[in-house]
Amino acid sequence: MAKSRSTAPEDYARPLRRLFVGLLVLLLLGLFLLWRIDSPRVERFRAALVDRVVPSFDWALLPVTKAAAMIDEFQSYASLYEQNQELRRELQQMKAWREAALQLEQKNARLLDLNQVRLDPKLTHVTGVVLADSGSPFRQSVLLNVGARDGIRDGWATMDGIGLVGRVSGVGERTSRVILLTDSNSRIPVTVQPSGQKALLAGDNSSLPPLEFLDDADLVRPGDRVVTSGDGGMLPAGLLVGQVAMGTDRRLRVVLSADYERLEFLRVLRSHELQPITDPGALIAPPPAPPEPEAETGEGSQPTADPAAEGGTGDVTEGSPGVESGDG
Amino acid sequence: MVDPLRTTLWLYRGAFLGLAALLLFLKLLPLGSLAGDWPGPDILLCLIFAWVVRRPDYLPLLLIAAVVLLEDLILMRPPGLWCALVVLATEFIRSRAALTRELGFVTEWLLVAGIMVALLLAYRLAFAIAFLPQPGFGFALLQTLWSVLCYPLVVAASRFAFDLRKPATGEVDAYGRRL
Repeated sequence: MAKSRSTAPEDYARPLRRLFVGLLVLLLLGLFLLWRIDSPRVERFRAALVDRVVPSFDWALLPVTKAAAMIDEFQSYASLYEQNQELRRELQQMKAWREAALQLEQKNARLLDLNQVRLDPKLTHVTGVVLADSGSPFRQSVLLNVGARDGIRDGWATMDGIGLVGRVSGVGERTSRVILLTDSNSRIPVTVQPSGQKALLAGDNSSLPPLEFLDDADLVRPGDRVVTSGDGGMLPAGLLVGQVAMGTDRRLRVVLSADYERLEFLRVLRSHELQPITDPGALIAPPPAPPEPEAETGEGSQPTADPAAEGGTGDVTEGSPGVESGDG
Repeated sequence: MVDPLRTTLWLYRGAFLGLAALLLFLKLLPLGSLAGDWPGPDILLCLIFAWVVRRPDYLPLLLIAAVVLLEDLILMRPPGLWCALVVLATEFIRSRAALTRELGFVTEWLLVAGIMVALLLAYRLAFAIAFLPQPGFGFALLQTLWSVLCYPLVVAASRFAFDLRKPATGEVDAYGRRL
């Protein structure tokens, strides 16, 4: 009697439940498919959600992080004496370097003055505090406490004091996510400095990301400087990335200059709007009004474009007229 | 008049939510997790399995789905996929509640380990089908192995901190039905 009463609701509850579970799983897989097909929309939703959830942890995130850092520091007190000695030695070396740097700086200033180079005034930065990291061993990213209300945009470069850290990818109202160079989704166009070889720095979830698509690997030696090349108009050119090193797998890898062990304050570089160059003539001169069918080859349009080209370059780069006035 | 049995039910659900939030919080702490570090265990997964094996009624389907989906979204995983797999795995365990109740701990551990490896394989298969880049197999397997090793610890912690155990014969639920 009691048994029949207890099983009676289960009789129809069970298929209903199975249907419900099936629907739920389909819904979730549908969400996954939607994300795979139309990623930006779902990622915007994700950024908005993170923007709501993570800053509400903020009051606890900072103290706990600080406390853990304090414990770390405390452990290093044990080796204080040796550290002090080492620092003294390093300081001695640094003084020599400082002298050299000061001289170079003065020389550089003189040369810049001679050339009348104007440094790009639009390259200012917004500094943000690292709120949280990705929380997963397979993704390398951090969350900053600056977002769309501070004027952050997708794609801007992020540096710590020394080197490039990553790129903004995903901006919420109050937070923004920075994909680090070590993430397996990160691809940055770089130049290897003395040889000028272009390559792609492709993160692979290890602390030393490899260089890919290097034209001539023989010209690149361990110890060479790696800077951003600015190709593709994503990042400003000339930001320090790191130094080339030979990995244990005989691949050329990059030792990053940024201190990834303590990412605390990051600078987001406010890149100016880069004008995409769509056709080759538009940069030099306005397109010729009558489209001549026989003048479509390069030689035909060259003489008409040339005088305008000289006027055009004067507007684009400040270098050439400055040199002329210096000569005269 | 509040039914004490029903209060415990909601207390356990609240405790699960609190634990899940705490685990998420600990993962988000920016404490220098370097690229290439060895991945740690997925404690939330252990917690869900340990609780579903012991008391399926404490973790309703929607609660699990909501928590895992939130984790998917915040930890930058593809949204929905891992959640769907975890829901399927918990349903698999839930429908075998009568069986798992009779099992000793070692067999239960083996069962859970098998499910965890199956989850990993299914997850990676879905990644491969969707042409998504994924971390190396050994690297991902390491996390699963850690989770398997941590499972007894999570079970023990649940047992001592939350007094979570399989229902004894003759226990009744809030509606007076036998568990």
